[in-house]
Amino acid sequence: MSLPAKNPSRETDGELLAAIRDGDRRALEELYLSYHRRLARFLSRFTPRYENVEEIVNDTFMVVWQNAKDFRSASQVSTWIFGIAYRTALKSLRRQKNHSAARSLDECPEQTFDPVLEDEVKDWLKQGLDQLPLEQRMTLELAYHMGHSLEEIARITDAPVGTVKARMYHAREKLRHYLPALGGTGL
Amino acid sequence: MSAPSNHPEHRQVAELIPWYVNGTIGQPEREKVEAHVLTCEVCREDVQTERRVYESVASAPGVEYMPAASLKRLQSALDGIGAPAAQAPAPPGREVRSARWSMPWKGLAAASVAVTAVFVAFAAAGRWSMFPVRDLPPNYHTVTNAAVRPPGEVIRAVFSPTIKLADLQVLLGEAQLRIVSGPTEAGVYSLASTSSRAVSQSLGMLRSHPEVRFAESVDTDTRESP
Repeated sequence: MSLPAKNPSRETDGELLAAIRDGDRRALEELYLSYHRRLARFLSRFTPRYENVEEIVNDTFMVVWQNAKDFRSASQVSTWIFGIAYRTALKSLRRQKNHSAARSLDECPEQTFDPVLEDEVKDWLKQGLDQLPLEQRMTLELAYHMGHSLEEIARITDAPVGTVKARMYHAREKLRHYLPALGGTGL
Repeated sequence: MSAPSNHPEHRQVAELIPWYVNGTIGQPEREKVEAHVLTCEVCREDVQTERRVYESVASAPGVEYMPAASLKRLQSALDGIGAPAAQAPAPPGREVRSARWSMPWKGLAAASVAVTAVFVAFAAAGRWSMFPVRDLPPNYHTVTNAAVRPPGEVIRAVFSPTIKLADLQVLLGEAQLRIVSGPTEAGVYSLASTSSRAVSQSLGMLRSHPEVRFAESVDTDTRESP
């Protein structure tokens, strides 16, 4: 396979999507390459296996290819694509029986260890994130790892703003419960 | 995060803090949060703590993947379904899984199992000779199979799965090579020369690059250990 040549007059996402709607495979490939990094970065927060990441990304772009005609120009292409990826990821990750995010926080023993070093805090934070219900975890990652606004997350997750706020609120509450050191003054 | 008081504004501000610390909050909400934390110690501490969480999550190292192999698999899946214009409109609420790119492979896998079962049954019955299987081409290939050698191929290489596309393009440009085929299931790319430079020179450049896992000339006379 030859790598697609760089297009000096790179088309916008909207123009690429319009071309995809007309069956242009090259436009789909260009859109895929421009979004692969962002999507893979986001998805790799939930699964360490690249096979799973690739499956979700490719499923997402299969939907993009088939449903490009359903895109409404009132919304951003990036929000639309992330919304498809979000729903695809939810289904895929829920199928993984051993996914730790599906477990309830109540099933996990409360941690009493008080981490001092920054690396230890990060380790404990990752463990705490892994205990969150998937939708709460994804909301937090969309805000903190990907830097999305409240309104963008509402559109991506197809949920009311109030629901997004509530998911984030409960995620933080559980995280703080699981990681008491984060709430202390020692950090 | 501390338990909020019953004051409605306290709860409203507490819910906005994540987007205050990630910098995406609107100006009116920002002013609301900043005014509130001046008088609310609980929310002030909450902002500081949440900022630590945000910085930790935001700075988590991302994993870089090279998209070429994944794109190739998507292209193979698309080959099987055609252009979107030729398809019937998708009904609302359609399940994503119904369009799964991997489904054709699952179908092939099921067919393969079925065919294998039939052959085993015939072999057990002593009727193997009815099928001219020896005339059929093998349904597998190896990465060193000369029969599938792409035109112009001079080097086969395997790159690190974490190499960036831009870095790969730079490397190939410097080594004066281009991809003519691949990646195979084993991640092997076939490379052709874009100049009259000696293959051994290009090979040396590949082998000295930290993101190249394997590089070998297809000419057996010049093969060396990587």
